[in-house]
Amino acid sequence: MYIFKTAVVGAGAMGAEIAQVISSNGLPVVLKDIDQQLVDRGMRSIERLYRERVSRGKMTAQELRDKMDLVMPTTSYNDFADVDFAIEAVPENMAVKKAVFAELDNFCPRQAVLASNTSCLSISEMAAATMRPGRVVGFHFFNPASVMKLVEIIPGRETSEETVATSLEFAQSLRKIPVQVKECPGFLVNRVLMAGLMELLRFNEESRASAEEIDGVLREAVGLPMGPFLLADMLGLDVVHDVARTLETAYGDRFRAPATLRKLVENHHLGVKSGEGFYKYTR
Amino acid sequence: MDKRDLVDRFVFAQFVEACRCLEEGIASANDIDLAMRAGAGLKQGPLTWADSAGMDTVLARLKSLSAMHGERFTPPRSLEQMVADDRLGIKTGRGFFEYSAE
Repeated sequence: MYIFKTAVVGAGAMGAEIAQVISSNGLPVVLKDIDQQLVDRGMRSIERLYRERVSRGKMTAQELRDKMDLVMPTTSYNDFADVDFAIEAVPENMAVKKAVFAELDNFCPRQAVLASNTSCLSISEMAAATMRPGRVVGFHFFNPASVMKLVEIIPGRETSEETVATSLEFAQSLRKIPVQVKECPGFLVNRVLMAGLMELLRFNEESRASAEEIDGVLREAVGLPMGPFLLADMLGLDVVHDVARTLETAYGDRFRAPATLRKLVENHHLGVKSGEGFYKYTR
Repeated sequence: MDKRDLVDRFVFAQFVEACRCLEEGIASANDIDLAMRAGAGLKQGPLTWADSAGMDTVLARLKSLSAMHGERFTPPRSLEQMVADDRLGIKTGRGFFEYSAE
């Protein structure tokens, strides 16, 4: 199925990044959030990503305007009547996700694919909120989506082969690398990544070595582009803690978050977004 | 700080989880390594890493890690089987992936 028009629901950090990826590849994208302020903020985030490229000489100011023209901000699902591929990037809460899927099912054309950018919630459960479970799929970008090449394609229990094929092709048309992953808690990359991160948190607690020291050793010894503690700060420690809890419930003790992480979250040290996590950030 | 303990616990925790994903059919060996490079920025996928380290070496280190830190490092059954079958990785031409002799 050829994709002529797309939509992203949720204009937060991830939604804006996804809309930027789509528009930069020349496809129209409707960007929706619940109020004008949130949509405006999303539009500013997208423009900021493009402006960075202009300042690095990667695109012209005219190209920036052309790309921005492909993004249509809205607060209404009425603009979804001719969308072929919709991606939701709303908060990781099943009730919210299901409500969004029910709306998408109502407003998008019958043949449209409805995708979720969730990193840990059940695709099959979201699909059950629609009349077209065969056309619901996980389409999981990695943070920041404008940079990271991977998209995990996760079929739910009832997702059709045609939907999977469309999703793989669409990801490629966005110049991403799609990998098909069987549905399970955490899917593939976050499951493997979190197994490593929880082990580092345990090491941090046992050894009293600082996050900075640990990040330094791993960058050097394993060649990581970014230390895992800094990565956790960027993802948001509340998000990391939630994902760890989901994984612990599914797989057991190896994903149990040590007390340090819980305490940081309780004290609202959530990482970059709150100004402090494992590291301190100046605004 | 024991740097070797740190690096090994990180690398082996990810490797064991990747093995579990493979055993459960979550993705193919090729896709697991591709995803960990493209999605997590690893220089080398965990399964390719084990093939170059040698499965017998990996298995021995996992046994000592599980003795020290508990069952989360228990060697996956598929790994024991690979060592029994002499699928040790690059050095025997076959591990998670196949290697030609040239």
